[in-house]
Amino acid sequence: MAEPDQTTEESGGGDAGGPDVVAAGAGTAHGSDEIMIELQEVTKRYPGSNEDAIESLTLQVPKGEILVLVGPSGCGKSTALRLINRMIEPTSGHIIFDGEDVTTVDADHLRRRIGYVIQQIGLFPHRTIADNIATVPRLSGWDKQRTDARVDELLETVGMDPSMYRDRYPNELSGGQAQRIGVARALGADPLVMLMDEPFGAIDPITRDRLQNEFLRLQQELRKTIVFVTHDIDEAIKMGDRIAILGERSRIAQFDTPERILAAPANDFVEDFIGSGATLQGLSLERVRDVQLNTDYPVVRHDVGVTEAQRVLETSSEDWLLVLDDDDRPARWVTLDHLDRTDKRLIENGRKVTALAEPEDTLRDALEEMLLSNAGATVAIDGRGKYHGVIELETLMNVLQRMRREAKAHYARHAEPDTDDTSVDA
Amino acid sequence: MAIATATEDEAVASPTRAKVSDFLTRNAELVITPAALLLFGLGLALLLSNVELDFTETRQLNWDTTSRRIWETVELAAASTVLVLLIAIPAGILLTRPGVRKVTPAVLSSASIGQAIPAYGLFILFFAWMGQGFWTAVWALTVFSILPVLRNTMIGVEQVDAAVIEAGRGMGMTKLQALVRIELPLAVPVILAGVRTALVINVGMATLAFLVGGGGLGETIFSGIQLSRNLTVVVGAATVAILALGIDWIAAIAERVLRPKGLRGRTSPTDTANPI
Amino acid sequence: MDGIQSWVEFVVGRPGEILGYTIEHAILVAAVMASAAFVSILVGIAVHESMAGRSVALSVAGVLITLPSLALFAIFIPVFGLGWTPSFVALFLYALLPILRNTVVGLNEVDPAVLESAKGMGLSSRQTLVKVKLPLAWPVILTGIRVSTLFITGVAAIAKLIGGPGLGHYIREGQTRLGLPLGMERLWTGVVFIVLLALAFDAFYLILNRLTTPRSLRSRGG
Ligand SMILES: Nc1ncnc2c1ncn2[C@@H]1O[C@H](COP(=O)(O)OP(=O)(O)OP(=O)(O)O)[C@@H](O)[C@H]1O
Ligand SMILES: [Mg+2]
Repeated sequence: MAEPDQTTEESGGGDAGGPDVVAAGAGTAHGSDEIMIELQEVTKRYPGSNEDAIESLTLQVPKGEILVLVGPSGCGKSTALRLINRMIEPTSGHIIFDGEDVTTVDADHLRRRIGYVIQQIGLFPHRTIADNIATVPRLSGWDKQRTDARVDELLETVGMDPSMYRDRYPNELSGGQAQRIGVARALGADPLVMLMDEPFGAIDPITRDRLQNEFLRLQQELRKTIVFVTHDIDEAIKMGDRIAILGERSRIAQFDTPERILAAPANDFVEDFIGSGATLQGLSLERVRDVQLNTDYPVVRHDVGVTEAQRVLETSSEDWLLVLDDDDRPARWVTLDHLDRTDKRLIENGRKVTALAEPEDTLRDALEEMLLSNAGATVAIDGRGKYHGVIELETLMNVLQRMRREAKAHYARHAEPDTDDTSVDA
Repeated sequence: MAIATATEDEAVASPTRAKVSDFLTRNAELVITPAALLLFGLGLALLLSNVELDFTETRQLNWDTTSRRIWETVELAAASTVLVLLIAIPAGILLTRPGVRKVTPAVLSSASIGQAIPAYGLFILFFAWMGQGFWTAVWALTVFSILPVLRNTMIGVEQVDAAVIEAGRGMGMTKLQALVRIELPLAVPVILAGVRTALVINVGMATLAFLVGGGGLGETIFSGIQLSRNLTVVVGAATVAILALGIDWIAAIAERVLRPKGLRGRTSPTDTANPI
Repeated sequence: MDGIQSWVEFVVGRPGEILGYTIEHAILVAAVMASAAFVSILVGIAVHESMAGRSVALSVAGVLITLPSLALFAIFIPVFGLGWTPSFVALFLYALLPILRNTVVGLNEVDPAVLESAKGMGLSSRQTLVKVKLPLAWPVILTGIRVSTLFITGVAAIAKLIGGPGLGHYIREGQTRLGLPLGMERLWTGVVFIVLLALAFDAFYLILNRLTTPRSLRSRGG
């Protein structure tokens, strides 16, 4: 996706078509031009409070995209979600849902078209798992057969065996399982839009990671428009096609793709919020298949003979030579030293190649491999394990520089305020 | 909340002891009541088989009279409990709706003082207003036992986890659907506890119905007191005790059966005020 | 309005007599409550650590409170005769459950972290009970005593039917003189003063709660 110089995501003309939902490209998100949810200068002040919970919030969510709202506790994230499905009414401003002003439609019917996963999960303790999931289908008047089929389908979708869990009660589930059922229930009548309020909040990091991955896999098929709330920036970067970093009273500190937020934080608040791991985070957004590999690296097939190998290595500027096996798979790393000292066959000489990266791996994975590797480089292979090219530290530096350059160019073109003070080598 | 369950897994010494103690823990109520019932029954049988009833005693204690009075007591308790349900549950629900909610604390605290109203006085007041008869007794009982059901309905509905209601409303349930499908079923255990209390009060206080010509086993006891026949007093008291324990026992079982399945494992809320 | 006026006249006309019956009633209730609280708290402490023990104790007290009040008053007549003694015993048995239940609940509700740290500081289980659990449970126990007192005050009116003391006297008189002059006035005097006495007890507990509970725990007593 997205060539390096292509930075205006709106021009993309929609979907890239591939299964690469995890915010891979540098700019283009997966949504179409169509806007699904739009907030126009929405302000909310709770009755009895003398301060706005949300102050003039304006944002748009294109169809099929995940927008992540992230910000400190109490900044109004949950409030924003509850405004969208009219659990509460805005004090002023407009909320447009699929072209309609939400205040003109029946609130209960609106909510049946919007999946809602609340912060506390809120499964109905007196109903079985199946009944919980069937809530919206039943409200919408589906017949029993269709509802039952849907329940089983959804249980499968969230990775839980229907025959095992259908008739259980919520108090017989673990925290992670309950969260899944919460998501399944929200998907009940196949809504176009999902509002998810810290859906993976209360679980351990490992399970959360798994649920996030499963959810992204799901989203690949389902292509819902999703507003996702979290206060965890790592989760935001992982899940979001776009991220809105919110400050006090939901004032937008920065609203952009994860890549650009990481590469060019708009101000100190954002920088503090994303923390010191931003550069590494940036690498985890880029995939091996999308980078310019070093293909000039000295490489030989193992059957070329030692003299030829020596020649190749001597004419290159590198210290290590990569030896491939019969099937062109990376096999050994050898130096001139190895070649001089022993008369082993090439395929047995030197060190084994351990650091490998497949096209779907992130650059962060590649970096980790590289740091542990013998030769200080990671070998990129294709799906069948054939040699593709080499990733060196330099490759990664180039990517990072490119990301910063793009972000700067983007902001220069869009004349964003607050960006001038961002130093490139932060 | 999480802390409260921490005591559940107390270590117990041996497996059999564990079983016995576990069984008692879960079912003490269901075991102790029949045990007491049996005790009263045996005592009664022993007493009656060892004495000769004189004429006055026979008049009070013959089976025809006794069975009629038992039946009257049951009718009084049943009628007043039904009335209580019809009045207190809807009223309790109404009092928890937004808008009226502000009066909730006031209602709850008057409900607690209301327990001090003497049933005896209430019966006589109703007698003064309505004259004598079955329905006088029923209304007096109804008024007297309405508070626990009202109170438990309000508490039961209020204690429902707001997140669960939010989830339901968020999925497009109307207010009425949320009430009927979520709030009420989740309030059932607490409401049932209140209903059982009201039933026990009604059976117990139905013994005072004789004061207003409403019949019941109170007549046996009181005639015994007035005629200084201790045997009559004790037989009357034991019979009504057996009746009350039996009804409470059935109510306890019903309470368990009627509780929504997903809520069974939970410890019922510590309801401080349901005396009889 | 006439009714209220003549009732006020009735009350104002015989302050000594009414005060006498009120004091009788109050003494009966106070005596019952003092002994019931003592016994319930001791039993509660004894059983609160055993799940089975406390289920059994609570069920037994539950059986007692289920017995119809007239039956409970009457059944002791053969043993104690009429008057104060059977009234006291019956009311005593009635008063147990709320106090026992709240004692058990209060003692078990104490935050395990607090108990853990008490243990960690080397307090013996008796010291933990006296210095940690009981003070923390006290507001809850007091609520139980309060609830018991409220309804014992009302039930005590029935004592009159077995020749017992107290304000039931006026209800009984109202009953026998219904339709006669001053019948309703007597009846209302009985009912109203019983409720007033209950309110006075309630106020007493409120003050006691203030005086005996650390400020930080007070809300729990409510
Ligand atoms: N029902 C309410 N009535 C009054 N004030 C409220 C209400 N709900 C939320 N608030 C206030 O509005 C502000 C925003 O709350 P909100 O729940 O939207 O925060 P949040 O960003 O979701 O926080 P968190 O990350 O802790 O969930 C807070 O200051 C909160 O106290
Ligand atoms: Mg929130």
